[in-house]
Amino acid sequence: MRVDAHDLVLRYGDVTALDRMSFSLEPGKIYGLLGRNGSGKTSLLSVLAAFRKHSEGTVRVDGAPVFENRDVTRRVSLIRDTGETVDISSAEDALEFAKWLRPDWDAALAASLMDTFAINPKKEVSGMSKGQRSALGVIVGLAGRAPLTMFDESYLGMDAPARHAFYDALLADYMAHPRTIILSTHLIEEVSSLFEEVLIIDRGRLLVQEEAETLLSRGTSVTGPILQVDAFTEGMTVLGARELGPTKSAMVYGHLDDVRRKRAVESGLDLGPIAMQDLFVHLTGGPR
Amino acid sequence: MRFPSRLLAANMWFAVMLWAGYLVLVTVITLAVELFGELNQSAWEQATQLPRWYAFFTGVTLVRQFLPLYIAHGQTRREFGAQAAVTVALFAPFLSALITISYLLETALYGLLDRPQVISQAHLFTEPTQVPLVFAEYLLEFLVWIIGGSFIGAGFYRWGAGGLLTIPVGILLAVLAETATGGELRLPLLRVIDLNLSPSAAMTAGVGIGAFVLGLALTWPLIRDVPLRNKA
Amino acid sequence: MFDERSPIYRQIADRIKAEVLSEELKGDQQVMSTNQYAAFFRINPATAAKAFQHLVDEGVLYKKRGIGMFVSPDARDTLRAKAREGFFSDVVDPMVAEAKAIGIPLGDVIGRIKELEAR
Repeated sequence: MRVDAHDLVLRYGDVTALDRMSFSLEPGKIYGLLGRNGSGKTSLLSVLAAFRKHSEGTVRVDGAPVFENRDVTRRVSLIRDTGETVDISSAEDALEFAKWLRPDWDAALAASLMDTFAINPKKEVSGMSKGQRSALGVIVGLAGRAPLTMFDESYLGMDAPARHAFYDALLADYMAHPRTIILSTHLIEEVSSLFEEVLIIDRGRLLVQEEAETLLSRGTSVTGPILQVDAFTEGMTVLGARELGPTKSAMVYGHLDDVRRKRAVESGLDLGPIAMQDLFVHLTGGPR
Repeated sequence: MRFPSRLLAANMWFAVMLWAGYLVLVTVITLAVELFGELNQSAWEQATQLPRWYAFFTGVTLVRQFLPLYIAHGQTRREFGAQAAVTVALFAPFLSALITISYLLETALYGLLDRPQVISQAHLFTEPTQVPLVFAEYLLEFLVWIIGGSFIGAGFYRWGAGGLLTIPVGILLAVLAETATGGELRLPLLRVIDLNLSPSAAMTAGVGIGAFVLGLALTWPLIRDVPLRNKA
Repeated sequence: MFDERSPIYRQIADRIKAEVLSEELKGDQQVMSTNQYAAFFRINPATAAKAFQHLVDEGVLYKKRGIGMFVSPDARDTLRAKAREGFFSDVVDPMVAEAKAIGIPLGDVIGRIKELEAR
């Protein structure tokens, strides 16, 4: 589904969680939503899912307002870190509820994912470990097949093998049933290859919206003797630098044309890619 | 609107299980009193104090558990409100029917034991066999206690500790219901309140429906734009 | 040499190129779909599709609408020619530089090459 936010503001009392955020998401892509703790990721997703009413601005999904609009909300799904499940009953009851309320529910997918994540259908949700709850949430999110599906750190409680099983399941089901997916995560290195586009937000504002590959190609590490590196990077956006004896490695942000690349190589500098995680850390201001 | 079959079924199933267990427990206690003491009044009259707390917590759970579940599964607050109202409106008579049946089973048991099934407090009914009156009284009571639970549950869900402020309003609803059935409210602090209005079936129905609608009207503003909490 | 495209692109491209060079993939043979590659490498299918598009632009693959991607008949020759072109600058020159840096006489290197050729 298409998402359009314009000057979106969300306040809790004195705190401004979303500060005039504007962006558009196209249908059928996997988006990565990156931001530090407290940057407004959960607030943004909560507004998109009508979990919260925004304070100002507009947010539209397929052109229609979201809050209390059943035509939109039934096609939007947000799974938060504890899993959106009912606490007072068993896993299979939780799935029955989801099946009852979700128009596009795929019971066969849910059943096969229950196997994948080894969840006993008879198990009480309230007695589940964090990992099992997360897995159940992920199952509800994937099998719901909502045209706009969002996972907010939903898989943090899962261990590495379970997370990888989730990535595989997500990708397989996305390819079979393309839909708009937003993944918010701290585990950037693990998930970044799934993103088609990335949104980086910081302090309630949108910092970057870019195709993942383009964003990656914007970042370059320049390594070599200190003097040459300094000369080369002069006038460029340097996100950060490290020195080791006579060697310096600088991260620059921005497009490097062929002439500059050639010049770098001729002056004995090594150019290399930067991982999305590093780009993210530097774009959001380094350690705070 | 979709009929809230799941919501109702989940609650009814749970209620029947509890009721069956409770029926056994009350019967055992009744027999124990018969064995070791003097059984001279209805045990169910005392036993019905607990089910209304169950009704109250059903109301609380409706908001605390099912409202977030509904919204997380893409339903609107309005849809939830409508489904919850229908659920309460059908669940209360269901509970009341279980209580009415319990009284009748007790009548049979006391008949076997040859004991008087005396009702000691003021009720809409004077004999447990006055089925319509028994049913009406507990229907009213459960309607009000469930909706009171929903209201107080919504208060706490929305405002956290600030939900304490909803408790007096909830108690007022309960008092209203008690007055309409001619009983005194069995909350220790409120024994003093006893308006002693003479009850009639029409008044009971009127007050019952009135209190229910009032409860719904009070609860709706609390949930119509409530944000979903982030469960920690 | 620096490749301005992402590591993901290189992963896919290197793999396909290696398979073409080793003739595991022959001319006019169909390659796995973007979705299969996406699932295998656990990457976004759009990214995989772009990598394939680059390979099409380079002449390694060609597209049959509605069917999939195929290896160009002359892909292997093109790749071999390109690899030959860069062989001295990419492989021999660094090797000579390395030999000098660690003190191996170039005569020994030539001797070794001749020895390998004789086998």
